Amino acid sequence: MATVPLHEEIEPIKEMVPFAVINADNLPELRAGRLGELPELSDAVERTDHVVDEANGVVVRVHRPVGQEGAAPCVYSIHGGGYILGSYEMDDAKFDRWCQEYGIVGVSVEYRLSPETPYPGPLEDCYAGLKWTYDNADELGIDRNKIGITGVSAGGGLCAALALLARDRGEVPLQFQLLDCPMIDDRQITPSSQLDELLVWSRESNAFGWQSYLGDLYGSDDVPYTAAPSRAEDLSGLPDAYVCIGGADGFRDEDITYAMRLYGAGVPTELHVYPGAPHGVALFAHLEIAQRYSADQEDWLRRQLERLG
Amino acid sequence: MVLLDEEIERLKHTVPTRDLSAELLPEIRATLPVQFPELSDAVERSEHVVDEANGVVVRVHRPVGLEGAVPCVYSIHGGGYIRGTYDMDDAKFDRWCPQFGVVGVSVEYRLAPETPYPGPLEDCYAGLKWTYDNAAELGIDPDKIGITGVSAGGGLCAALALLARDRGEIPLQFQLLDCPMIDDRQITPSSQDEDLVIWNKASNAFGWQSYLGDLYGTDNVPYTAAAARAEDLSGLPEAYVCVGGADGFRDENIIYAMRLYGAGVPTELHVYPGAPHGVGLFPQTAIAHRYAADREHWLRRQLVRLRLSQV
Repeated sequence: MATVPLHEEIEPIKEMVPFAVINADNLPELRAGRLGELPELSDAVERTDHVVDEANGVVVRVHRPVGQEGAAPCVYSIHGGGYILGSYEMDDAKFDRWCQEYGIVGVSVEYRLSPETPYPGPLEDCYAGLKWTYDNADELGIDRNKIGITGVSAGGGLCAALALLARDRGEVPLQFQLLDCPMIDDRQITPSSQLDELLVWSRESNAFGWQSYLGDLYGSDDVPYTAAPSRAEDLSGLPDAYVCIGGADGFRDEDITYAMRLYGAGVPTELHVYPGAPHGVALFAHLEIAQRYSADQEDWLRRQLERLG
Repeated sequence: MVLLDEEIERLKHTVPTRDLSAELLPEIRATLPVQFPELSDAVERSEHVVDEANGVVVRVHRPVGLEGAVPCVYSIHGGGYIRGTYDMDDAKFDRWCPQFGVVGVSVEYRLAPETPYPGPLEDCYAGLKWTYDNAAELGIDPDKIGITGVSAGGGLCAALALLARDRGEIPLQFQLLDCPMIDDRQITPSSQDEDLVIWNKASNAFGWQSYLGDLYGTDNVPYTAAAARAEDLSGLPEAYVCVGGADGFRDENIIYAMRLYGAGVPTELHVYPGAPHGVGLFPQTAIAHRYAADREHWLRRQLVRLRLSQV
């Protein structure tokens, strides 16, 4: 049985993670619960919800620092949850910090989940939210030429796919993509994706997530690259990228390979791999490794925003 | 296509990129790769002959007044296997020894093409073995030795970790591989970039040719000569790999780190967009700062880990 060493601070508390396998049986229960506590939010950021696509129930939440004037850069965020779980509320705490700290407008999108809505529905929802943001930039106090995107896990996968889709459609210029442990390869053929006892997001959960998202396409050779960006052959013309991933994350190899291929396509890419960090290391927020993981990411974001000016 | 960091782009003319060759080598060896800064008197340095016949010498750097057996960082300088001296490590240990409370050891190994593989690697091994055998006299804890190297020094360092594992005489606790030169085949996309700065395709071919001699271009290159060829990376010490996105070694380094992971070796990997080979030659830039700070932060954490392991 192939396993991977966990960070020494995480090993003793790994039992904190309440579930090992997500499947059709426990999905309703998991959806009814919450992925982590939602902390209290400050009143330094005002939040407004906007319906983008009434028929499909696509909503975005706009987070804006109170009292900020003029057109600010925008970070557009896609929450994680294996394509099957989660809500845009998961981004509230992040934008409560980022909006104040960086003087940006944050936009989080509520997209439809699988298996009820398989590909391309969730991705098109993300695109619709982005397009709406771009089209309404003036009213929202956003500089439409300073929009970057971010996402964690399945949100990172949707983010990588959104960057490809935005490139292909040529309607919305993107300035950067922050891919935090993105879920991008449905084939599950890399060594790390086949490890046993993966913490937080197991091999079985991963298979269930992809199965749910791809529906009939699952297991076939017809999976489009906008469903699983690892399959994209042409990565040129994509925005500056940040890729971070834990060494004990099943996505390790697919993410390192994607970063290497982004470089090969001439996309400026920053890559950080943290030994011993499992998927969703932020669940262990009090640990030094989780703090370093997010500090490096936020340092890059700060530099991107400085670059945009 | 090589995209350089903006600050580096403005400064790159200060460090000319030349095609190294046999004709140019004497001139290149006569010039210093970096300015050697004045050293503090907080660190005492002593020289020890390890192998008189081959002229292998190590320099031991010890913080003045430090008592007891402390961890040791063993360092191998860079220079494409064909140039450089252990003086290049003086400034680093002048900072690291007091800051981390370590003994530093730098090795003067023979250079190629005069001494091809395995001579330089065996010199590095001899220096390491001598350090291990004389640990008590040197005030070093023999169970807390890690190794480091930059560029060809990183390549020798990766090879030394493999050799030390295979011979089983010296336990190593970590390997810090800074833009290591590990793949003689020059087949990755990044190694074939035409506009690499500092260390370009021609220089890289010349370095490998010099180091491998008759083995160059054959399938008989041993993995202790070019670590990227090693099939079994299990049982190696914890690793740190860092490389610039505009470094020809980028792909071979990323792949090596990914394979270390695959072999169960805890590995930290950082790749910095826009950083060329030898980004440390531009110490005034923000990217060089970050590159060095991440590396030293890892070293500090390794040393904390080793210190905790004694209780």
